[in-house]
Amino acid sequence: MEEAIRTFDLTKNFKGFTAVDHLNLEVGSEIFGLLGPNGAGKTTIARMLTTVLPPSHGTARVAGADILHESEEVRKRIGVVAQAMTLDVELTAWENMNIYAKYYDVPSDTRRKRIEQLLDVVGLSERADFTVGSYSGGMKRRLEIVRSLIHEPRILFLDEPTTGLDPQARSAVLEYLKKIHKDENITLLITTHYWDEAEGLCDRIAIVDYGKVVALGSPTELKRQVSGGDVIEADFSALPDRVLESLRSSDFVLDVSRHESSLRILVKSGAEAVPRVVEVANSSGGKMQSLTLRQPTLDDVFLHFTGRSIREDTNIGKKRFVSSWEGMRR
Amino acid sequence: MKGALWVCERDVRKFIRQPSIMLAAVVGPFITLVLLGFAFGGTITHMPIALVNNSQSPASYSFTDLLRNEQNCSYGGVNCANAFSVTNAPDLDSAQALVRSGVVKAAVYIPSNFGTPINDSVLPVITVYIDNTDPLSAAAISGLMAQAGSQASAQIQVNSQSSFPVTVDMTNMYRDVFYIEFMAPGSLIQSIMFASIIGGGISILFDKQRGIIEGYLVTPLKQYEIVVGVLLAGVIKATFSAFTILVLAIIFVGVRPVANITDYALIFITIFLTALGIISMMTAYAVRAPAPEVYQFTAFPINLILYFTSGAVYPIDGFPPWMRAIANINPQAYAIHALRLAMYKGATLSAVIGDFAYLSIFTGLMVLLATVAFRRAL
Repeated sequence: MEEAIRTFDLTKNFKGFTAVDHLNLEVGSEIFGLLGPNGAGKTTIARMLTTVLPPSHGTARVAGADILHESEEVRKRIGVVAQAMTLDVELTAWENMNIYAKYYDVPSDTRRKRIEQLLDVVGLSERADFTVGSYSGGMKRRLEIVRSLIHEPRILFLDEPTTGLDPQARSAVLEYLKKIHKDENITLLITTHYWDEAEGLCDRIAIVDYGKVVALGSPTELKRQVSGGDVIEADFSALPDRVLESLRSSDFVLDVSRHESSLRILVKSGAEAVPRVVEVANSSGGKMQSLTLRQPTLDDVFLHFTGRSIREDTNIGKKRFVSSWEGMRR
Repeated sequence: MKGALWVCERDVRKFIRQPSIMLAAVVGPFITLVLLGFAFGGTITHMPIALVNNSQSPASYSFTDLLRNEQNCSYGGVNCANAFSVTNAPDLDSAQALVRSGVVKAAVYIPSNFGTPINDSVLPVITVYIDNTDPLSAAAISGLMAQAGSQASAQIQVNSQSSFPVTVDMTNMYRDVFYIEFMAPGSLIQSIMFASIIGGGISILFDKQRGIIEGYLVTPLKQYEIVVGVLLAGVIKATFSAFTILVLAIIFVGVRPVANITDYALIFITIFLTALGIISMMTAYAVRAPAPEVYQFTAFPINLILYFTSGAVYPIDGFPPWMRAIANINPQAYAIHALRLAMYKGATLSAVIGDFAYLSIFTGLMVLLATVAFRRAL
């Protein structure tokens, strides 16, 4: 596997806590996802790899160059799509692309062809001369993605690429990303806290929590690590603590977690477990409203490895959020 | 009608939590009141004049002593204490040169035969060459000189028991310059200031908030390229604004600058230096301001202070001492001084070199400050 990114004990300490903790990661020519809740350290990892933030310790090779000593080379070889919209809305799509191409010294004869080709890839050719202010959220995101490809980078970093998009625009963006990965033969590194997005898009995923990789593998491999079991989700109108205790002590249950008045129960075999879950719940004084049996998802994997769900973790994430301006390089 | 109360309640509650808007509404007008009131209210004093006294006779001293009066002076009810600060010049040419280069506001010429009456009836005429490109100072000088003339006549009568009236002749050195023309250079500089506050500072704040500046950092652009690019764009915007004001003033309000290539070059250099200095100053402030709101609410009062202490609307000689002290360090005052010389007096480089020197130092410091501030913010 061709090496695109390799980190060596990459570490970032902020005042009072370690955002990234001795990270050793290898990324090849693939779509690689960093999955974790807000504040897990995935954006900090991406910022160090894109040379915006200097590491406290360790280093990394990105596209064949060292992020500490050859940061300028790194910047020439990578493209970055930030989480925030950074297009100039007063300018047309063409102008946005053209100015960006100039930043990267793309020669003027290839510039025109490249812009036309890229706008065509994301279906924006006909809107090329419209100001970006008139674009929908999905169109803007697509334009930002191809803008970062203008200099034919070897690696494209995308920070939460579908945040704020409606479901339709979101799936369109994901389809374009797959296409770009194939057509441009480019490594994509994506940070996300949407497990379904990571699952559908990524070849490999690193689950990140508290600045460490807690699990690594393809979505299928990761799910297999959840003991090959099934997931039962049950909503209750009355849920005494006793229900949890009884379920935890039952031999058919691998793991139980509670979120308000619903339970997520990881079991060895769904078909056998469903009636027994109902029975245990009723006998412990719980009133069940609904029950769903399904295959485990990456969210369950995350829960398995961290003891928390990504979705319920947003508050912790906020507390650990570090000002985006803190400690930046240059 | 009850709905109106709730809408009102919401607004008042928001105001109590965030009084900065109301503060801005108070601070601006109050600064205007203080600055404008003190600027226009003051008697113009310490006006620099050059004196050529070729006569050195008792009669001539009875006139020149009046110009040097420091206290308890009043001629014909006009307070004249410290009205002038007098420089002696060897001859009329050098005195007029001082007027042309903007060092003094008038040249007073007393001929060598002043002490001797012509035909035993009148004294030879004293001529005052006035820099009338500053119409307010010019009017004050004319009034004071005429009063000094009649006062001197009275004194000579007492001293020599004979009545030879002193005639003071006022000569304007330039074509009539209207007050609006006097004001125009200040407006040019103010448009630089506005372009810098809005086009420079605020647009950088937006870019910073939207992550555009961080976006620059992942490109191969070098740090100094980002700073130079931002400042250069600011200078282009500010210079364009100032020249637009100049054109509008020429077309619509009858401002008639001396149409001379050298002077336009001097105007351009003044505007460029000032624009670079002010855009750098506001950029440094914008990126280092504790919060975007702080920048937005303080930038305009800063503009008022710089504008009204620059001599844009009233001669600096009429200011109280504390305002004159601000004027002495205010780069806009130097810029306006240079612009007036170039626009109405057909000045050469040597006349404005002092202003350019000050503006260059100010601009150099501000560019340095902006570079440091910007790098730390990046």
